[in-house]
Amino acid sequence: MSKIITSAIAALMAAGLAAPAAAESVMAEKGQSVDLTLLPKFLGILVFDQANEGAQEAHAELENPGELLFVGPTPENSVAGQIEIMTTSTTQGKDVVMLSNNAGDQIVPSATAAQAAGTKVVTWDSPIPSGDGESVFVAQVDFGSIGVVMADMAHSLLGGSGQMAVLSATPDAANQNAWIAAMEDALKGSKYADIELVDIVYGDDQSEVSYNRALALVDQYPDLGVIMAPTTVGIQAAAKAMQDEGLCDQVAVSGLGLPSEMVSYTLNGCAPEFALWDFRDLGYLTYYTSYLLATGAIKGEIGETFDAGRMGEYTIEKDPTRDSGLRVLMGPFTVYNKDNVEAAAN
Amino acid sequence: MAAAVLDRFSPQALRVLALFVVLVLIVLFFGSQIDNYYSARLFNRVSTSVAIMAILATGQALVVLTRNIDLSVGSIVGFTAFAVGDVLSTYPGLHPLLAVALAVAIGAGFGAFNGVLVAYARIPAIIVTLGTLALFRSLLVEYSDAKSIITANLPEWILQLPRANIVSFGDLDIRITFFAAVIVVITVHLALTWLRTGRKFYAVGSNPEAAVMAGINSTRIVFLAFVLCGAFAGLAGFFFLARFGNITVVAGLGFELKSVAAVVVGGINIFGGSGTVLGALLGAILVDLIDTSLVRWPLVSEFWREAVLGFLILGAVAIDAVLMRRLLALRHARMKDRRDKSVAQDGATA
Amino acid sequence: MSDAILELLGISKFFAMTAALSDVSIALRPGEIHGIVGENGAGKSTLIKIMTGVHQPTSGQIRIDDVPVQLKGTRDAQERGIAAIYQEPMVFPDLDVAENIFISHNKLGEVVRWREMYAEADRLIARLGVSLEVDRAASGLTLAGQQTVEIARALALDVKVLIMDEPTASLSAHEVDQLLRIARALKAEGVAVVYISHRLEEVVEIADRVTVLRDGQHVSTRDIGDVTTERMIAEMVGRDAGEFFAREKSHATDKVALSIEGLTVDGAFADVTFDVHAGEVVCLAGLVGARRTDVALSIFGVVPAESGTIAINGKAVAITNPKQAMELGIAYVSEDRRKLGLAMPMSIVANTTLATLEQFLSRSGLVNRRRERDVAESFRRRLNIRTPNVNTSVGTLSGGNQQKVMLSKWLNAEPSIMIFDEPTRGIDVGAKAEVHEIIHELAASGVAVLVISSDLPEVLSLADRIIVMREGRQMGIYDGAEATQENVMQLATGQELTAEPA
Repeated sequence: MSKIITSAIAALMAAGLAAPAAAESVMAEKGQSVDLTLLPKFLGILVFDQANEGAQEAHAELENPGELLFVGPTPENSVAGQIEIMTTSTTQGKDVVMLSNNAGDQIVPSATAAQAAGTKVVTWDSPIPSGDGESVFVAQVDFGSIGVVMADMAHSLLGGSGQMAVLSATPDAANQNAWIAAMEDALKGSKYADIELVDIVYGDDQSEVSYNRALALVDQYPDLGVIMAPTTVGIQAAAKAMQDEGLCDQVAVSGLGLPSEMVSYTLNGCAPEFALWDFRDLGYLTYYTSYLLATGAIKGEIGETFDAGRMGEYTIEKDPTRDSGLRVLMGPFTVYNKDNVEAAAN
Repeated sequence: MAAAVLDRFSPQALRVLALFVVLVLIVLFFGSQIDNYYSARLFNRVSTSVAIMAILATGQALVVLTRNIDLSVGSIVGFTAFAVGDVLSTYPGLHPLLAVALAVAIGAGFGAFNGVLVAYARIPAIIVTLGTLALFRSLLVEYSDAKSIITANLPEWILQLPRANIVSFGDLDIRITFFAAVIVVITVHLALTWLRTGRKFYAVGSNPEAAVMAGINSTRIVFLAFVLCGAFAGLAGFFFLARFGNITVVAGLGFELKSVAAVVVGGINIFGGSGTVLGALLGAILVDLIDTSLVRWPLVSEFWREAVLGFLILGAVAIDAVLMRRLLALRHARMKDRRDKSVAQDGATA
Repeated sequence: MSDAILELLGISKFFAMTAALSDVSIALRPGEIHGIVGENGAGKSTLIKIMTGVHQPTSGQIRIDDVPVQLKGTRDAQERGIAAIYQEPMVFPDLDVAENIFISHNKLGEVVRWREMYAEADRLIARLGVSLEVDRAASGLTLAGQQTVEIARALALDVKVLIMDEPTASLSAHEVDQLLRIARALKAEGVAVVYISHRLEEVVEIADRVTVLRDGQHVSTRDIGDVTTERMIAEMVGRDAGEFFAREKSHATDKVALSIEGLTVDGAFADVTFDVHAGEVVCLAGLVGARRTDVALSIFGVVPAESGTIAINGKAVAITNPKQAMELGIAYVSEDRRKLGLAMPMSIVANTTLATLEQFLSRSGLVNRRRERDVAESFRRRLNIRTPNVNTSVGTLSGGNQQKVMLSKWLNAEPSIMIFDEPTRGIDVGAKAEVHEIIHELAASGVAVLVISSDLPEVLSLADRIIVMREGRQMGIYDGAEATQENVMQLATGQELTAEPA
């Protein structure tokens, strides 16, 4: 039996969604031809493949005679590769590019060019920071709520007081940076007064770099109690490093991870608690949003409400985490511990 | 006496000596900068992490000695780690030695591919391996099918391997992986010194034209160098899998440059023909030590680390070069002295 | 011939449609030194390549100990006892002497027994009657030392036939003696030595028999008793060559074109002082390592002098780079055609006008190709450069013709002072005579000529005056007519006594 612990913030968000929007909910009309490209940060990461599964599910459901392509750059060429694929998709006259942006604002010129040529750019997982060249961002969860959840996990793992450090992905990953900023905001609350954030380091989403950075944190801060890794690669590398060096009783690893990858560390106590959302759902919702935009059913304006198949009703809103840009908020997400991780892993 | 040391050691031994001095200087420098630097932990960190790079640098050294370069080793490490991880996830009962043999065989296979193109098709190594760097990585992306290897599915013995010790002195651990790497380096060093085939690696790199004239099958030697380099990269891939457990398609990214850096810092001539794998080992330790120390040095921010790392490596090479030149000059002067004396005697008897 | 160890019977070799060798037969006997002479292009190189298995003959037969064989490659040839050493020694600079000797010696087994190897190397070197430290890296050896290593390598392989291709071209006189001694030592051991050289005196001195090749054909093989230098030359060029080393009368004038005083470059040479008059030919003589090239490079501004003065036409000048030197009318024809003088992949035309390209610029700033070609063409005729046309790339020409292209390049600049550095090294007798002719013509037209040469007969036939250097020091100046090989040699080797050691 699986018991899902949903955070208070996520519940709040759900309440927000339930409030009826002014406009009528738009339904997708099946069978229209839309060509889409799903562009992850790079290939070979499980969560992106899960997002693709969700998108494929929606593609079949909507009986789209067009093409859904899953293409991404190779890992060592992520930034340039994303820009190149964006440009190629534009020239090929794709209707939508669904982008998990890893290029920061460097993607803006090619994204703007795509929009000008009639190719919509819908971001998911990680937005374009400035919002330029982007139609709408499909956010997995509210970035502010991720910050609170991470702060809460640290709070519970530290027993209310102690030192924590962040092991992130790359220094220019927009989503991780936003989450970390949100967490720093949350930590200002009086509840967390005794928690000290001592350092933020970057593991480049590579196992070996993340592993070594985690060890360096432990060496550098002898009193460190928690390593918070908001990246699926970083969290498991950190957990392995603590396990290999026999440090799990001193330092707990937490952050965002996949249950199937984290199950052993959660059970042996190296990573007692972590959180994540469902990437299949994220791919599914992104597809619906893109399809509706491409077919003109929605314009991509604040307040538009649409129906996303099995996931229900969503509304386009101003993205409160960025200065400009629109978002569709998916939410909620799940916190995993030894009680529910095994069931979720299988 | 310093003079006695100069007489007894060959230039290659002097080079290792100079590197050693640089290593000590680096340790002293960081010791003054970082609290609790001199600890068993530092030794354990560097020794376990250098184990992988030392094996990789050994293979790279063989190729560089023959006046070639292998830029595909990072991709070979990644592919091998993934493939062996995949096999072990599917067949957890596989004998550990068979798993190692599989890793070496996969690596050797990739190496042979490079070797055929370089040695037999005579395409420059830098072009071939730049191509296979991307090719092997793409094969991995294709093979992985967007999955990754996760520790949960690996057999227990391989997860235990990185923390298994041969011996411990207090907190100071000699881990199996480090021990294995040292054994590999020493074995290759002995082979290069005492085996005729080993000497031919030097000959081919020293003067390829003369090698042909001297009846050495340099095509075979170059091919062999690439196969061995691939095999060692495969072995490194196995240790990579054991240490990190979670293998994604980015595994081993950038290792090719680190291995080249270790080899060059270790005093192996990039134009072939001279150097030792002991030097390559020291080079690997030096690069890793700087890397490991830098991330613990609060003075340097995350964003400057790469630049400082490059700067320190350049500095180390420069100090090493100056030291080496001084030592050689001293040695040369002494030898000339002796020769002049003997010539003077010859003159007297003529 | 039944006593022959290696016999070539009616060997022909065609490359595409041209015959490099046609119907050449030579028999080599054990314990003989067999000289082979011929102009460049006579087929010597092809002959060596056939004997060492690099090329397969188009027709004809190779017999070793009366058994017909096919040599499949250098390795196969080595295993049958045939090895060669070249003008540019083939050593491994990073390996030590002993290893260099035994590197291809597979019979020794896979494990290197260092101590035994050093002992064996010592023995081999001793057999050659020279001394070398066998545990030293070959990179520190002189050219002669490297050749010794190569010969020892061949000896270690139980060589029966050793081919020496221009072995003395880059050696100093002292080293030449040593090499000839080694050749005799090999002969005494029953090895058949094939000795190929442009230096005919050496061939006469050392060979037991001499074979002359011309245009890929066998001209003669004679016992040394029946051979004279003049006869060899006549057979090589196919005409009478009496005029080759005759002295010409001096064209020297009173006007001092180049005056050098106390010229010094630390670590290279010190206190060099001499004049060259317009129309005069002055030779810098000395052994390899006498630092004569450094003096020339200093005058030409490549390595400016640290102290001392250079005056041109009586006016003191400071020359700090080659461009200045060229503007002052100095030209330098370098020893190393590849490194300093010619752009090998480029055409004859391009090379000819390289130093004087400004002259060929049209008003638009572009190069006038037609005028370039006309000039190159005129030099081709004047210097008798043998080439299908002036657009041929220089790399494909023979050594002598490359030398002439380099000459055209500098002559085109119409210099008033011309420095030649080893102008005839490695080129054949005919070309050599032509180069000498050009030097005389230049002198006659009033150019001051400074020639660096290690070839004593050449020095003696060319020079109006001879400056002898030794290890960076100026040892003395001779009048060309008075100098003899012996007294120049004495100064060059720093010997006080008149008697040359045997």
